Amino acid sequence: MVTFSPIDWIIVVGYLVFSVAIGMIGRKYIGSVSDYLVAGRELGVYVGVATLAATEIGTITFMYNAELGYRYGFAAFVAALISGVVMIIIGRTGFVISRFRALKLMTVPEYFEVRYSRGLRLFTGTLVALGGILNMGVFLKIEGEFLTVISGIDAKYLVTIMTVILLLELVYTVVGGMVSIVITDFVQFVLLSNATLLISIYAVYHAGWHNIVSKVVGTMGEAGFNPIANPKFGLTFIIWQTLLWFSIHTCWQTTAMRMFSTKDPETSKLVMTWTGFIFLGRGMLPMLWGIAALAMLGTGAIRGGVPLPVLHGHVLEPIDAMPAMLGSILGPGIKGVVVAGMLAATMSVNSSYLLGWSSVISQDVIMPARQMLRKAPLSSRKQILVNRVANLFVGLFLMFWGLYYTPPGAVYLYLNVTGTIFLAGAFVCVTGGLYWKRANVRGGYLAMLLGAVGVIVPFFLLHWSESLTGFIAFALAALGLLSGSLSGRSSPRGVAESETT
Amino acid sequence: MIYWQAFWTGALVIAACSFAVITAIVTVRGYRDLIQMFRRLTAQAGKDRK
Repeated sequence: MVTFSPIDWIIVVGYLVFSVAIGMIGRKYIGSVSDYLVAGRELGVYVGVATLAATEIGTITFMYNAELGYRYGFAAFVAALISGVVMIIIGRTGFVISRFRALKLMTVPEYFEVRYSRGLRLFTGTLVALGGILNMGVFLKIEGEFLTVISGIDAKYLVTIMTVILLLELVYTVVGGMVSIVITDFVQFVLLSNATLLISIYAVYHAGWHNIVSKVVGTMGEAGFNPIANPKFGLTFIIWQTLLWFSIHTCWQTTAMRMFSTKDPETSKLVMTWTGFIFLGRGMLPMLWGIAALAMLGTGAIRGGVPLPVLHGHVLEPIDAMPAMLGSILGPGIKGVVVAGMLAATMSVNSSYLLGWSSVISQDVIMPARQMLRKAPLSSRKQILVNRVANLFVGLFLMFWGLYYTPPGAVYLYLNVTGTIFLAGAFVCVTGGLYWKRANVRGGYLAMLLGAVGVIVPFFLLHWSESLTGFIAFALAALGLLSGSLSGRSSPRGVAESETT
Repeated sequence: MIYWQAFWTGALVIAACSFAVITAIVTVRGYRDLIQMFRRLTAQAGKDRK
């Protein structure tokens, strides 16, 4: 049953039109490939925080964090705490990011050519693009689920709705690149943050703080609060998450692009520190919505230790509990504002991810491959064109694949595991390359290879837990870099040289 | 369990407050940053044309 009122529709459609219109402003500022990919490296602290936060807060983020809260209670907060604290540590120390910014890079794999070799850049670029696009592949379906559940629109329209939204994102991303994204991210950040705070107040008000705590105590006991006692988490999970968040905040293409876009290394550190505090709320607040949904709708049969959500007699999946709760507690007008906020979150994430992964395809796969084939370098104009075509390609792929694929288990853990396929090796190579003189090309290849194998074999073939898989991947990648580097000669491009290139 | 409960309640309050405060600051000062970015990009484009 459609629960959207005319005022909700007006707010949502009005927001979409406004968002695309302001996104088109970016077009007139695009002169070079650097303007297109890193906004001419002109980002200040505050707009930097807005664009970084908007990029990493999407409807997908709200959905998977709410699902974690629903399934594991307050113990899930540990994941949010780690992500925020690690970001603040990186911001305060400048670990990796200030050296990256000083190198004036445009993509993460570009560093691999600066420090290691062109071949390793191509290899890493391929892994990063593949892993990143597959990772993003689940976004559309989950985001579409949110919209259909909260608005009550028939699920058969999901494909059409998400296709329209993706096409709108593509329009301004292809045309205005990073400049358009920064403009829309700023507006989207304001809208999504206010929606986040509004939902939190509504969720606690309707579910009641006492009921929320009592439900977790009654359903999960100690495991609902203590992450060490919760069988899904434990010490291995905490170590893996710490390593993973260090690698995400330093080597994840969309995050790194914001660091590359800042005015100077000092600005990149400030952006990272401030956004770290936002990240605490980015995780914990949606988890709270999930726990509130458990308190309000968790009355079904027990599955995986928690009762399934039930709304008007319909049994739902845990991931749909949060939007179902919002659909039932938000009134006309407020629902429109919240959905517009969620659409803002969706569009800011998807547009940045489209640009992020397509830039890796163009800059780190196509360009190095052309150089290796001894073809003449492309002009800045042609590079922008290649980027735009890659952008379209990624968008089309997501449209056809992303809407039909369903990830197994908790979405948060699935995204983390698929990300680890390239992040384990990339993080080890980057830190080794920046801080260890002996790191060489052989070690780099081994780290990337073992990092990927360390995820694929234990998780997909042996069906080990996500935590153990992630932990093994990082350990194998480190072992690869150490053994490869120590058994071969030092790289001709040492740490000092790569710093000044 | 009671200690974990108190710890997560405190963490949640800090997270929500810092989220709200930073949102307010970024909304006001981010706009100024954006205008400055446009000015610099326009100036840079002018230099490139010359």
